[in-house]
This record gives sequence, C-alpha cells and structure tokens, in this order.
Amino acid sequence: MQVRIYSHLHKTKKRKTTMNIQKHILITTLILITSNAIAEDLPTGEQIAKNINARNEGISLSRKMQMVLTDKRGKQRIRETVSYRKYFGDEKRTVIHYLTPRNIKKTAFLTFDYPEAEKDDDQWLYLPAMRKVRRISASDRGDYFLGTDFTYEDIKKESKVTLEDYTRKTLREEDLNGNTTYVVEAIPVNDEVAEELGYGKVIQWIDKNIWMARKSEFYDVRGKPLKTIYTENIKKVDGIWTAHRLKVDNHKTGHKTLFIFSDVIYDKEVRDDFFTQRTLRRGL
Amino acid sequence: MASQNTTRSHNTKAEHFFRLVTAWPKTVMFIAFALIISCAVFIPGIVKDTRSDAFMPPDHPALVYQHKSEEIFGLKDPMVIAITSDSPNGVFTPQSLALVDRLTQQIKNINNIDADRVTSLSTENDIIGTEDGMQVEAFFEQPPATQQQADMVRAAVMDFPLYLGSLVARDGSATLIVAELIDQNDAQSVYQELLTLVDSTETQNGEKIYVAGEGAVSGYMGAYIDADATRLNPIAGLIITIVLFIAFRTWRGILIPNVVVLGTVASALGVMAAFGIPFFVITNALPVVLIGIAVADSIHIFSQYYEETAINPNDSPRDIVVRTMVHMWRPVTLTTFTTMAGFLGLSLSAGMPPMQYFGLFAMLGVAVAWIFSLTMVPAVLSLLKLHTSKNFQPDQKTDIYASFMTFLGRGVIRFPVFVLLLAAGIATAGVFGASKLVLNEDRITTFQEDERIVVADTAINQRFDGVHYLDIVVETPQTEDLFKPDNLQRIEKLQDYVSTLPHVNGSTSIVDYLKQMNRALNEDKKEAYRLPDDADLIAQYFLLYSASGDPDDFEKEVDYDYRMANIRIRLDSGQFQHEAVVVKAVEQYVQSSFNAPGIKANLSGRVNVDYHWIKSLGDNHAASVIISLLLVWAMAAFSMRSAVAGLFTLTPVALSILLIYAVMGYSGIWLGVGTSMFAAIAIGLGVDFAVHTIERLIVLIKVKGHSIDEAITALYPSTGRALFFNFLALALGFGVLVSSEVVPLIRFGTLVAVAVSVSFFASMTVLPALIKVMEPNFIKPELSLKTLKQAEAN
Repeated sequence: MQVRIYSHLHKTKKRKTTMNIQKHILITTLILITSNAIAEDLPTGEQIAKNINARNEGISLSRKMQMVLTDKRGKQRIRETVSYRKYFGDEKRTVIHYLTPRNIKKTAFLTFDYPEAEKDDDQWLYLPAMRKVRRISASDRGDYFLGTDFTYEDIKKESKVTLEDYTRKTLREEDLNGNTTYVVEAIPVNDEVAEELGYGKVIQWIDKNIWMARKSEFYDVRGKPLKTIYTENIKKVDGIWTAHRLKVDNHKTGHKTLFIFSDVIYDKEVRDDFFTQRTLRRGL
Repeated sequence: MASQNTTRSHNTKAEHFFRLVTAWPKTVMFIAFALIISCAVFIPGIVKDTRSDAFMPPDHPALVYQHKSEEIFGLKDPMVIAITSDSPNGVFTPQSLALVDRLTQQIKNINNIDADRVTSLSTENDIIGTEDGMQVEAFFEQPPATQQQADMVRAAVMDFPLYLGSLVARDGSATLIVAELIDQNDAQSVYQELLTLVDSTETQNGEKIYVAGEGAVSGYMGAYIDADATRLNPIAGLIITIVLFIAFRTWRGILIPNVVVLGTVASALGVMAAFGIPFFVITNALPVVLIGIAVADSIHIFSQYYEETAINPNDSPRDIVVRTMVHMWRPVTLTTFTTMAGFLGLSLSAGMPPMQYFGLFAMLGVAVAWIFSLTMVPAVLSLLKLHTSKNFQPDQKTDIYASFMTFLGRGVIRFPVFVLLLAAGIATAGVFGASKLVLNEDRITTFQEDERIVVADTAINQRFDGVHYLDIVVETPQTEDLFKPDNLQRIEKLQDYVSTLPHVNGSTSIVDYLKQMNRALNEDKKEAYRLPDDADLIAQYFLLYSASGDPDDFEKEVDYDYRMANIRIRLDSGQFQHEAVVVKAVEQYVQSSFNAPGIKANLSGRVNVDYHWIKSLGDNHAASVIISLLLVWAMAAFSMRSAVAGLFTLTPVALSILLIYAVMGYSGIWLGVGTSMFAAIAIGLGVDFAVHTIERLIVLIKVKGHSIDEAITALYPSTGRALFFNFLALALGFGVLVSSEVVPLIRFGTLVAVAVSVSFFASMTVLPALIKVMEPNFIKPELSLKTLKQAEAN
C-alpha cells in the first residue's frame, strides 16, 4: 500500500505544482494514519492466508465421499466413492474409486498434481466397461471437476489457498453462526489469472480459531455472483480439523453440489502403489 | 301498414331523443370530451407484445409443450451473428479467427447477453482421441498466429461432425457466434447494440458480419412496427381530413368528424390499455381501420345535413339537425350493427388472441363512433349557425361527384343484365381463385426484402444448415433409460430418417456426442464413429466427459437424470408449407416407427409451434368468413324484417371476397397472418354500402312512393354521393397501409382497400341491377298491395 501511494506521488510530482504536492502528502498521510488504525486491530489478508496454509493436513488421507449433485429442477445424481490422497514430497497424488451407482462402479480417477506451475497435471480414468485406462487431457484450473460445482483449483487446494494468485484485504471481523471470522476479500492479481481461475473476486469468512474458511463467496470475472461454498460439520480427526460436509450453491446455473465425508483417516495405511495405473485397473 | 306505423313511432321516439340531445348540447359535448380524455390517459400504459408466440392461446398444447421443453433443455431463441469470408481459406485465417475471438468477447460484455451462454469457435471444445486417451479442449485458446495454425484449426473442426452446418458452414466459408439473452423480452435493445458493434468492427480480410436469429427477429420486429405505426396513423388521419374537405369544404365538416375519430381511437386503445390487453403486431392496423370507419357515419350525417340546409336555409339549426338525424339514425345504426357483426365474426372464429382482441376492440370502436355520431355530432351542429356547403346547392347537379354517381345510375338502369353477367363472371373467377389459395406464412417476410435482418437471414440459411429449429423430445420412464443402446439406436434411426426430408440439412442429439466420444476413445478410428452397445460404457463415457467438459455441456441434448433427450433438427426454410411437410412426416414416423413401450417422442420447437398456429389460421379464416357472413346476414335480415333483404345485402360483399380470392389465387399471394383477417373486416365494412343503398331504396319506394327506376335514379346523387365519400375514406384509409414497411400490413391494407372498392361499386351497380331485375318483395310498397286487396274486396 505504501509503495503504491509513493509511486502515485512520484507521478504527480512531474505534473503538478508544489502546492499540490503538499496537499497530496497531507491527504496521503491522513489516509495512512486512518488505515493503519484499522489494520492494527485485524491481521492482514496475507497473514491470514499464511495461517491457513500453515495448517496441518497430514501426509496421507483416506476417506469415503458421497457426492450429491442437484440440478436447478431438483433432479439428483448421487455417487459414492472412496478416495486416497498422499503427498510425495510436494507432489500430491489422488485416486478416487466409484462405488455407486452400479453402472459406474469400479470407475477410477487418478491425478498427479505437480508443484511446478508450468508442468501440467497428469490424469487417468479407468473405464471398467472398456477395461482400459485412458489418459485425459490436463484440466485448466478453472475447469469444473467431474460435473460438480468445484473447479479443479478448488479441489486441489481443498481447504488451502494460493498466495500468489490473489491480493487479499481483511475487511472486518464478523460473527458467522457463532464462530468469529475474519472476512477477507481476495482479488486475482491480474485479468489473466482471473480468467484462468474463472473468478473476479472471492470473499471468505475465515474462522480465526482454526484458520479454515467457513464460507466462501465467489464472483465471476464480470463481477456477478457465481457460487457460495459452505464448509460445515468441522470436526477434529486425528488432531486435524476436518470438514465433513462441503456444500456449493451455484447462483448462475442453480446447480448444487454436496460432498459428505465419512471414515476419514489421516496418515495410515495408504500404500504408494494405490496411485498407479495398475491399481486403477485392478480395483481395491 | 304495421311496419310503417312502427317506423313512424320509431321516428317519433328518435325525434324526442334528438330534441333532448340538442337541448343540452354543451352537456353532451362535455361528456364526450371527458370520455375521450379519461380513455386517453390510459394509452401511455399500453404494453407491447410482438412475440410470434402471442398468436397462440397460452394454453395451446404445442405452446405448453414448447415451454416445457425449453425449460428442461434450457433452449432459448438466440441472437445469431455470422462471420462469412469468401477468401480461399474461408473463415480459417488468422485474421478471421481473431475476429471471431474478439467479437465473442465483445458480445459477452453486452448488457443482457448471458456471457456464459455465448457459443462460437473460440468457446467450444473439441473431443479428440489420442494414443492412450481422450482430450476435450478448446479449438484454440489464443487465435492462431499463422495460416498453418489456422489450417490445423480447420482440420480439427472439419473432423468434428457435430459442428458442421451448425457452428461452421460445411464449406468453411462462415462461422457463427450464438448468443443467448438473459431477458428475452429485451431483445430489441440487444439487437440494436449488436448492430452498433458490428458496424464499428473493422474487418481485415473482407469478412462480412450478419446479425439474425429468432432473437434478433423478434427484437427487431417491435422497433420496426413501432416506427411504422408512428408514421402511418397520422397519414391516415390526414387523408381522411382531405376526403372530408373535398366532400364538404367547411370547417365543421372537417373538424367534427375528426373529433369522432379521436373518441373512437382513444376509447378503443384506452380500454385496451386499461384492461392490460397487449398491443400485438396486428393491432397496428386497428387505428387505421377505426379512423376509416369512424368517419363513415359522419359523412352520411353531414351529407344529409347539408342537403337539408340547402333546401330549407331559413329553418333553425336545431330543426335542421333533428330532421337530419331522424333521417339518418336508422341507416347509421344499421351499418354500425352490421359492421360490429363482421368484427364479432372475426373475434369468435379466431383461435388467436391478437385477432380475438382485434375484433373485440374494433367492435368497441365502432360502437363508440356510433354513439358519438348520434349525440356529440348533432349537439355540436345544433350550436352552429347554419352555413351552406358550396358542394350542396338546391340544384344538386353542380357537384361533379353527384354527377358522376348519376351517370353511374343511368348505366345501371339501362344495362342491368349486363351488370349482372359481369358480376357472375367475377364470382366464377373468384371460386376458381379460391381453389388456388395457398395457406402459407414466413416470419421473415414481415420485413422488406432489403432489410438487414432479411439479408442476414438469407445469408445464414444459405451457408449453414438453417436456423429454423424443429425439436423432438424423447421421453423414457426411468432414470438413465437413455443409456440403453436400444433407445439410443432408435434416436439414431429417427435422425437418419429426418435427414432425408426436404429442407432438413442436419440434426443434433446426444447420440452424435456419444459417437464422437466413442471414436475419440478408440484412437480416433473412423469406423469407431458409432454408438457403443453397452449401457454401462455409455454411463462411463458421460463421467469421463465430465472430467474435462463443462457441467452444462449436454444441457441442450439430455436432461439431468438421462430420462429425456432433445433432438434438434435444422431447416433452412421458415415457410409454413415447407415446415408442414417435415412436421407431418416426423409425426407420422414417430407414431409408426419410433414410439414403443418404454420410449416415446413429441414434437416441439419453433417450427412445430409455427406449424400449429398457421395451420389453425386456415381453419379460422374459413370460419371467420362464414360466421361474419351469417352474423351480418342475420343483422340485416332482422332489421329489415326480411331474410331475402339480408341476402341482397350480402351480395356485394360476397362478390368482393370472391374477387379478392381470385386476385390472391392467381397472383400467388399467401393466405397468411395479415391477409387472413381481410375477409371478416371487408365484410363488416363493405356491407355498409349495401345497407345504405337498400335502406334508401326502401324509403324512396315505400315511403315516398317512387317506382323502382325513379328510386334508383334518385338514389345516386344523394346517398350515392355520400357513399362515394364513405368509400373514398375507407379505401384511402386502408390504402395508407400500402406505404407501410411491414409486408403483411401492406397486403392486408391492399386487400381490404380493393375489397371495399369492389363492395362499393357492387352496391352501386350490381345491387340496384339485381333489385331492378328481380323486384324482390321486401322492396315492394305494401301499401299499394293492401289498397289493391281492399279495392278487390270492395
């Protein structure tokens, strides 16, 4: 903020008279004083983001997940899966096996997320009716994940955030259903990133005690309300705060997504070969 | 004797009434003006409804089903922007593709355009097979920089059958940007913005940009018709004023009838607005119709008034006025009721709300014109000092119009049989013409041929498969029944069949996407472009697709629980005759070969809706002619106490309708939305001439004791002259519509003007000739018969 004001001053100096410069300095000083006064009470957006990302997520995770997808007319698709996630250094691997409905049972989805931004993720899908594993093209960050209202980026980050994509500003402290939260506004750093993510603005309600977003409002690149993600039923599992229910309302399409997690287990019995094409084919 | 007594007692009552009206002239005038103002205040609140759907009753099954399928599959009437290029590479050049990309972005930023529902080459995904899998990705993320890259995009698009003919011209010379609106009712401003955008876009490679589509058509229709109505109605008013000036050459003869016009139009439109009845496309013709009709009563009253003044210039104005009204109230009332009967026929027979309301409000206007003519007109006249018109001198032959009519009368008396033979000839030609009538309609022909929207529509329908859509909605009972290969194969066969029909150039359904996916998952082998035969595999394909596609990618093809599917068929013609062939064939096929236990199909889409309402237009037309003729006959027969008199009254209008049929049949004018209304209106208006003629002849023969020849001779310079101006007012009033930009209005106006002219001339020639030759009983003086009988008895 200070840098920006300085450069603004610098530019004006070239054009305006000394009188004007003094006036500007006076005004900016006033602004600085007042904004500092607010900032003293609240942590900066940057700090909050760092606190969120510092949370422990465990090296590996296994869980069952029920996906309930509802379209605007109330028609539902219900799918049950079991999934595993494991960090291999900074590389994150995820595998999802479908259990129901019957016609997609044994279908499995494997993803390797590489930490390098320029390296595309690898994805494979096993189709039991074909008995073949098929590689599918790397998805863009803003693409929707398996017909849900989450984007690949949402899924990849899960309860974390990216520091470099957004500039964050803490708006206020607010009570949300009995939890004290910081309301943080995140704006993509530039239009290109906004276009890539599909978001023009995100407002998050971050629980100040556990550093998890309890609610996130997303706006599209044109500033229109896009969707709201509710993080619910947060319980400690193996000492790690874990959401057991994620709900998304898409305001544009009227579509809804509900993820219900159960049997969540951290850091136990997730073998490395779970994340191979062979296991994908063979099943669990 | 009895009837004469009743006539006399009617006239005594009438005299009382007109004495009363002229006793309180200022009160009557005040009430009249209060009525005009209190109706006029509602007019600004009038709602416009230029949708073609407005022509169908909202509960029509075809329309209800259309709305249902629109909701399920998110189908809307979009704006269609076409970019065409005649360069050797078509639109697959770096410049043209960059133009598509740029325009797509700019269109997304237009207000009321649903940015998420803009489709073009720069937004759509390709499904391609790779060695070990399948890719769903954009045809290009960034517009290609070199011709080589553009060639690769072309190769990819040409290898994706789904988009050929729909998104890209099969020869690569054009591509579309299809944009949906958030609020369909605001299409007008979006269309204008698109035109502004297109006009300000510079093209580098000689590309042409067109804006069309159903969204654009309905968007433009509103503005087009508004502009037209604003121009036409004042012209109609002006022309009527000129007719009044020629007829009377006095201020009162011009101004007072104009007040009647004002009251008529204000009350019809005001009541319409007050009751929230929308202003439809065809309602534009209503003010012109009302102007023509409203002035007719005045013309007859003023003619009589000036005749009376010329004969008795020393009487008091009130006496003259009362005498005029006692003479004229009966024919004026009778013509009002017959005209109303004609409009009632239109209203009763039309299954379509715009026509029902047209008939209804025309009836209201006619009634108001009658009330004004019988109250306000005598009230004002009784206040004015007597002033003779230069056109009405005691010696009536000085007026060239009267002389012309007298000349016509002589001809009829001399050659009645010739006149009747001529009429019989016209009638015969009419019957043949009617058999050649074609029921047809095409929305785009509402506009003049050189309008941008017509040029755009033509260009798009030429280069693409067509933008007229017939939808076939497939329904199955259970969730995911559409995964069954059996059902999918049925859909495939239906599509194969439909593609053999004329004007059908392509169709799209979920089957096409499944084939594309099947090919992609089988290393892009050409022979794999077919339906998989395993329901589980199909379920897994959809899951696979969702890993890289958008959740709503198949929204237009299949519903969320895979129970209903939509097949969209593209036709390159919006003509009813073409659509009817396809709709009937598809209905037949669906019944005989598609429907089976566990699966059925229904037709939907704009083409189906249009087919149903235009089809009913034909039936309604026949019904409206028959009902109008019957009502008019009943009205005339009842008031003249003679069924035969009723038939005589109908002769001129029947002749006029037959002649119009002949003109339409031989010159290939379609019986369509605009033209189908002409008959009922022409009957209601045209019958007035016959009513006035017969009424006058009865009075001349029965009351004044003239012989038939004497009566006919006396008819022409007075009633004939008034009728001539009545005819001029109507013919010129409707003639104004010829200068309209809206083609159906031009046709409508021309047909009514011609029909009214024929009715007038037939009433002035055929009708007197018929009476002279046949000497019907209703015209014979009862008095002389009775005297004869009495003499015999004695």
